Amino acid sequence: MDIFRYGHDSFGERVLNGVSWDLLPVAFWAGVAVILVHLVWRALTRNSGRRDGG
Amino acid sequence: MANDNDKIIRHAGIDRLFHWVMAATMFVLLATSLLPLVGVRFGWYEVHWISGIILTLVILLHIVRSLVWQRLITITPRPSDLSSTLPGKYTPAQKLMHLAWTVAILVAIVTGLILTVKAGVPFLTRDPYVYSLRTWGVMTLLHDLAALLSVFLILVHVYFGILPEKRAYLRAMVLGWVRRDELKSAHDLDRVARGD
Repeated sequence: MDIFRYGHDSFGERVLNGVSWDLLPVAFWAGVAVILVHLVWRALTRNSGRRDGG
Repeated sequence: MANDNDKIIRHAGIDRLFHWVMAATMFVLLATSLLPLVGVRFGWYEVHWISGIILTLVILLHIVRSLVWQRLITITPRPSDLSSTLPGKYTPAQKLMHLAWTVAILVAIVTGLILTVKAGVPFLTRDPYVYSLRTWGVMTLLHDLAALLSVFLILVHVYFGILPEKRAYLRAMVLGWVRRDELKSAHDLDRVARGD
């Protein structure tokens, strides 16, 4: 997976063009991961809360 | 005497309008920039820069409003947020979300405005030679990073916005108000009243 996008100038030298779009799914799945972790944490704390409350 | 069912105004109409206009422009900006990457071909650039200008104007108004009519400290993360006392108007998580959006949007706006010089807009003479290719590359890199951060933040922000236990915050951003009992379970009402 690439981190950056590169192009070439008129002399054939490599120049930075921006962020590699390989990182777009990474940003998406990082968001999904935060959501899933929170859902698990939420379920666990709710269950323990019910047990503690009798 | 205050009743638990009393409505407390959390967001003024102008702030709600700002939020939803900003949300709409962010969706348009991300759609016009990212859909072509996944194979959806259309003339995206004009819609993109017009949305960017709208977002810039809205953000400028928001900055003026927050500096002149509101207390910036209310939404600024502070060391006291780490204490176990109830928060004021905004929870530490809400302050962090606002800070992350501030970084993403300001970087996107500043680099986006500079990149219009290279790409061209009707009211500005296009000049791709004003900066070196390396500088344009760095500007584009920062603009791209702001877009990626925005994708992440939208997912997390929408998720927390639609959770049943956070529904009062969503209603407040639509209708403006929360009930007193909804707020006092997670916020110190005295701090909220002080604008803390």
